[in-house]
Parts: sequence; structure tokens; C-alpha cells
Amino acid sequence: MLSEHTIPSDYDDEGDEFIDFESYYSVEDTDLNGFKDDSDFDITSDMNSDDESGSRISFLISTQDSENLGKKSSLSGSEERGLPKLNYNCLTTDQIYKLMLQRMENLQPIFNIPLEDMIILLQRYGWSEERLLEQWTEDMEKVLVASGLRTAKHDKIKRGIKLHPNFMCHICCESGEKETFSLECAHEYCLDCYKHYIQDKLPDGKIITCMNCDLALRNEDIDKIMGDNSSAKLMLSSIKGFIQKHSNHYKWCPFVDCNYVIQVGNISSLSEFPRFHISPYVICDNKHKFCFQCGLESHAPGDCQVADVWVKTAQAESANLNWVLKNTKECPKCGVNIEKNGGCNHMTCKSCAYEFCWICEGCWKDHGGSYYECTRFKKEDKNDNVESKGSLRKYTFYYRLFSEHENSAKLDWNLGQTVEQKVRALQENVGISWIESQFLPESIRALIEGRTTLKWSFPVAFYSDPSHNLTKIFVDNQFLLVNAVEDLSQLLQIKEPKKIMEKKLDFYNKARFVKSRENALIECGRDLLCKGICIPQK
Amino acid sequence: MSLKRITKELNDLGRDPPTSCSAGPVGDDLYHWQASIMGPPDSPYAGGVFFLSIHFPTDYPFKPPKISFTTKIYHPNINANGNICLDILKDQWSPALTISKVLLSICSLLTDANPDDPLVPEIAHIYKTDRAKYEATAKEWTKKYAV
Repeated sequence: MLSEHTIPSDYDDEGDEFIDFESYYSVEDTDLNGFKDDSDFDITSDMNSDDESGSRISFLISTQDSENLGKKSSLSGSEERGLPKLNYNCLTTDQIYKLMLQRMENLQPIFNIPLEDMIILLQRYGWSEERLLEQWTEDMEKVLVASGLRTAKHDKIKRGIKLHPNFMCHICCESGEKETFSLECAHEYCLDCYKHYIQDKLPDGKIITCMNCDLALRNEDIDKIMGDNSSAKLMLSSIKGFIQKHSNHYKWCPFVDCNYVIQVGNISSLSEFPRFHISPYVICDNKHKFCFQCGLESHAPGDCQVADVWVKTAQAESANLNWVLKNTKECPKCGVNIEKNGGCNHMTCKSCAYEFCWICEGCWKDHGGSYYECTRFKKEDKNDNVESKGSLRKYTFYYRLFSEHENSAKLDWNLGQTVEQKVRALQENVGISWIESQFLPESIRALIEGRTTLKWSFPVAFYSDPSHNLTKIFVDNQFLLVNAVEDLSQLLQIKEPKKIMEKKLDFYNKARFVKSRENALIECGRDLLCKGICIPQK
Repeated sequence: MSLKRITKELNDLGRDPPTSCSAGPVGDDLYHWQASIMGPPDSPYAGGVFFLSIHFPTDYPFKPPKISFTTKIYHPNINANGNICLDILKDQWSPALTISKVLLSICSLLTDANPDDPLVPEIAHIYKTDRAKYEATAKEWTKKYAV
């Protein structure tokens, strides 16, 4: 049930770490400064044998032992060997939920309440067992009441669906023979109203309560009322909320229509990446490669900072971004853009549920009653938005190159779709086996990756000192990759199956050439960043 | 469906009207009501009559009604456009609530403002630091706009 990235034996041992987030926060805090600690990194490569592409290697980083390698990694000379690697899992929300359920079953003996009620408790506490356990030991009764699992008095009434020959529903005010639902609280309403009510609440992912009090509906109640498996939708929304809240550990694959989630257990290793000017790339099971740090597609040779500055500058050009900057603020916690279209200054982020003050952007809780300090608006340093004409022209030049390659990459995606047809044609017309025809999809992948690298090399070129010799070498490398990519692209235009087979070796060679040119360019770009020749700035 | 419920609420209001407020449709449109609230006697709004406009969404009561003051009022949780910052009109709305209950909640909001969750920070500031000044201004506004 876990994806191929997980090493099963590891998973059992480290089971705790997969959901136990609170402990990570402390690790993250103390480990942020990669230079300060002793960098005792033991890098044991754990080849994932059933990985078909062969390029994915998971590494385990343990911070406890082996001083030799770690010492080396802090020396500039042997950087190459000490490059940090990220250990991650690719999951679906379903799998995450199942993992939660497993954990819950383990916890059940402590709580000694039905599993259905455990789900509600964990929902109430944002799937954080630690917080729940803490509160539970403090005041069990309080937790049960707060989660809507305890009725005040009327516990003689049984919850469930009943049939009444003559019933007047106080919600819709219709009367007649009706099926109704009520919890132990005896607030009884017709089934149609309950259906409507639940349907509206499913996307929120929060506990659904009785319409008239705080008593919670269990998943089985929801399914009984809705007559289907609707509680699964509620759980999915709840898990989505959980993922948003724990975006340090979980990231959605940013590719359109891809529903995979990448989970990183030990995020302390993430802080190692920036100083090497590389980014923690992950690949989802749909083979989408993206950066776990910034959530963008693969942006090598640029590091996250180059990508960030570049993207922000690019967006600043568009009217859209101007509007966003003018009318919205970023959630101080998760960075989602929020527009305030009414109501008071007590904001709750829809995405991560962080509560903050609109005026000072501080946490609302710390705020207490002293809201009024916030009438003193923070004066923001006005950025010097007026760029000189010359640098704007330079930017536009590079941006055009960037977007040209972006468009080409999009077209290549479409080409990728037709490749599948080509493969099928090969199998049918020429009688080639599936495995033998794999050079085609592999070439297209090489082409797209090459283009993406090329695309992101322009921001690096833009921010680099043009007079430096290394920049010139970088530009030469760019040129070589452009040629390699165009060559391969041309080859992929061939339509006749027979000709394709004749050129099979060509495909192999050109794809490999693209790959090697790409790696050379990435290394060269990293060199520019490490040596401070490329400095991204707004 | 919402029409039946709105009609029932209207009938209930006619049969058993709440002590300090009233409400009813503006014209033929049952989805648009006007309501009035008498300023609570133990508040600086005493003696004033405040008008509110109520718009029912088509999927009422599953979505909350839109309620705003049409009479100007000096209050930390009500702004110059008459918008009200009240949890039961937003995420704490429940289909089991009625206009009558909501109006009563607004009445108690007039008596007990919630300055820790203000819509107008300036008024909330005065409310917390100089209660007398707040009451004087609120009384003045009531005299000027609501009598």
C-alpha cells in the first residue's frame, strides 16, 4: 500500500515519525543552521531495486554517527560526495488516511472508545495524537464534550433513522409521512434536510454536528443518512486540511490533475540543500519531478532563490499580480494569498486555519485583547519599483527566451501523448515488443527534462555577472544544450513506424547526449551560484 | 423549500413576536425583509429604533441570511456600511437558527459588545480604554440617527 519509495523495513521501525509531527518541529528549529552543527552525516545509499527508471535512489541520512564522511561534507573540496539527499514517500490521500487508521487502532486501547469516536477525536485535534493525548490525560470528560461525543442528559433516545407517519420538520417546514434522523439529543429533523446539510459540510472536512447542538455525527451516521459512502469524502477533505496544515512534511504534486502527495519524514535534512545551491527534487509516481522546497517544477540549474526571484519578477509584470499585491496579503504561516472582502480583522486562513490579525499579520492568540496596538500601521519599506529602462529590456529579453522554452515544453507534452500512439503502431505494424519500444517514451522524457533545464538556465544567465569567464562558459553550455534538444526534438517528429525503428540508435544517442549536456549545464550553473557570480535580486 | 420555511418564520413572528424586535417582508418579495430593533434599555442605544435589512439566500436555511443595519450605529462590531461581525451569521450558522433568534443575538450584541473581535478597531479601542466616552458617543449617535 505504500509506494515504491518506501523501504518497508524502515517504515515499521520509523512508524512513529510518519505522523508524529510535533517532535519534528523542535528538530527543525534547532537544526536550521546547517553550518553550526558538526554535520555528522552518514550517507548510506539504499538503492531501490524495483525502481524502473533507475535514476531514483533513496538515501538515508542519519545524524548520529560516522564523523569521517560528515567532516568531509563541510570541506569545499569534497562537496560532491557530501551533497544532501532527501528520503521521501509518494502517497495518495487515501493511503495517508489508511495510515492514520492504522495508528488509531494502535491507540484505541489507551482511549477505550469505539474507533468511530476515535476518528472524531482526531479530527477535532487536527490528526495530532500528541495534542489529543495531552488533553485526554488532563481532562478526559472535557475532550469528549468538546468533540461532541457526550450528551448532556437525554441519553435514553437512540440515535438513528426513524419513520414518522406525521412529522413537521422545523428546518424545511414540510409535514407528512417522513423519515427522520436524530442523535441522542433528540433534535429530530427530516432526512432530506439532513442530506442537504451534510452535503454542504462535506468539503469543509470538519466534524459535522447536530443542526441544533454540538453533538457529533459519526461516519456511520453520515453514510446511513446519505445512503452512500459520503463519509469518505469528509475524511478526504479532513486529510487535505491536515496536509495543508503540515505543508512542511507534505507537498501536493504541483502538476495539473496529479493527486499524489510527497511526504518527507525527516525535514531537518532540507536545511542542508541551500548552501550547496541545489534543490530537494522529488518525483511522484506519475513521474512528475518537482522541488520539495518551493513546490515549483524542476528548476535546475537555478536554485530555489533564483526560481523564486525570477517567478516573482515575471509575475510582477502582469496586471494580475499587481492586483494580488494591492488587494491581498499572504497568510503569515502558509503563504496563501488572502483577500479581505468584509468582516473584522480577525482572519482565519481557509487553507491552514491559522488565525491572525489582518493589520499587523501577527498571531491572533498572542494578540489577546491588545488588538488596538494594530491601528498603528506598519510602514512597509517601499521597494524601488522603478527599474531603469536598460535592465527592464534585458529582463524582457531573457523572459522571452524563458517563455519560448516553456511553450516548447508544453508542446512536447502534447507530443508525448502522440508517442503512445506511435508505440502502439510500432507494436502492431512492425511487431516490436513493448519493452523494445520504450526508447520512444524515454526520449520524450529526456526532451522535456532538457527543455525544462534550458528554460530555467535563462534566469541563471540573467542574474549572472556577464563579464565573468564562467558566465561565458555557462552560455556556451546553454548553446550546446539548445542544439542537442533541437536535434532530439526533430527526430521525434518522424511519424512512420518503419523509419522510427531504423533510427532507434539515433534516438538512444541523442537522448543520452541531451542528458549529459543537461548535467553539464546544471553543474556549471551551480558553480556560478556557489562562487557568487550569479546573485538573484529583485 | 426555502419559501415554506420563510413563510413559517413570518407566521411565527406574527403569532409570538419577540419583545424588542420586529421583522417582515419589504414588498411582495418574501426573500427581502426589513427588521427593527429597539435599543436595549440598559445600553447607550436605549430609546433608539434601529432598522436592518435582511436578504435570504435561495438555499436558506442551509446558508445564513444576509443581515445589515440600515440605521447608522456606533458599535465596535458594526461598521459604517452596517455590516455586522457576528459568528452565527458566518461559520457558526446552523439551519436550526431562525431570524427571531438571530435578531435576539443582535440585541444582546448591542448590550454586550465584543471588543476583542472588533470590526471597527477605533471604536473598540475607545470602548476598552475610555468607556464613558464610548457611551457618550453611542448615545449621541442614537439621538442623531435612531430617534
